[in-house]
Amino acid sequence: MARSKAVLESDDVGSTTIGRNIQVDGRISGEEDLRIEGRVDGAISLTETLYVDAEGVVVATVEARDVVVSGILLGDVTATNSVHLAAGAKLVGNISTPRLIIADGAAFRGDVEMTGVPAMERSKSAKAARNFSAPAQLRRGSGASVRTTSPDRPAASARSTARATDSREEDEVTVVVKHSNLRKGEKADAPKKRSKKIPARGKRRVNRR
Amino acid sequence: MANTVIGSTIVIDGEISGDEDLIILGTVKGRISLRETITVEEDGVVDANVETATITVNGSVTGNIVATDRAELRANCNVVGDIRAPRILIADGASFKGNVDMEG
Repeated sequence: MARSKAVLESDDVGSTTIGRNIQVDGRISGEEDLRIEGRVDGAISLTETLYVDAEGVVVATVEARDVVVSGILLGDVTATNSVHLAAGAKLVGNISTPRLIIADGAAFRGDVEMTGVPAMERSKSAKAARNFSAPAQLRRGSGASVRTTSPDRPAASARSTARATDSREEDEVTVVVKHSNLRKGEKADAPKKRSKKIPARGKRRVNRR
Repeated sequence: MANTVIGSTIVIDGEISGDEDLIILGTVKGRISLRETITVEEDGVVDANVETATITVNGSVTGNIVATDRAELRANCNVVGDIRAPRILIADGASFKGNVDMEG
């Protein structure tokens, strides 16, 4: 009794914990993190993270956003963001997730299906998709058309600053595009950020030639 | 720690059994069978038969309660069901409907 009062006062309750000596037989669903140190049989459906601690045993179908296993999990796992098997984890079941991390020392048996785009990275891939679409628009006409044809250009320009920081790897490409722009004298001003967005990738140069 | 907490957005549909204290802020349906203390917080909803040593209810319990040590119904709680416990405390403001059986 004294222990439970102490917990109420300290309020370190940020997430739900199923303690070591607890067994739950049935369905658990919720919208917060769940940490399992005991035993759960049945089905788990969360919108947040499921942690199976080293002493936890889960015999259930799991659906969550992230799943971090350090204990034993028997059952299929479907994660919308990532699955992480830490050392000492034992998982028997199929995994369906966009991101998967299996650490050295984890034991796993089952099928893996890596599907879709990780929930966190959807915005980055959308930017990448726009990068790809840019050269196609250039082919249609002069560079000026880039501004008019694409409906998502204005939206893209809003994110240009973000993209500029993302495309550090494309610095070389970016520089080349800038140079070609200056030579042609086109869009010297048209937001230089725009030129950054348009990955040369050889396509633009070909058109110019 | 070493304490089980069922958070406020969690819904458990099934049976819970164990040897530890349990704090319920969410919803539990089914059956609870513990040998320690159960605390049902204000937002907690328990739709289950409960067997435990001690239970403290601040929220809502629908189902029979069997406590081997003590059952405590605090203010603003809502209990519908029978209570069987050797010691019972019902505070002012609690709402209770059911039978009470204090054995011994």
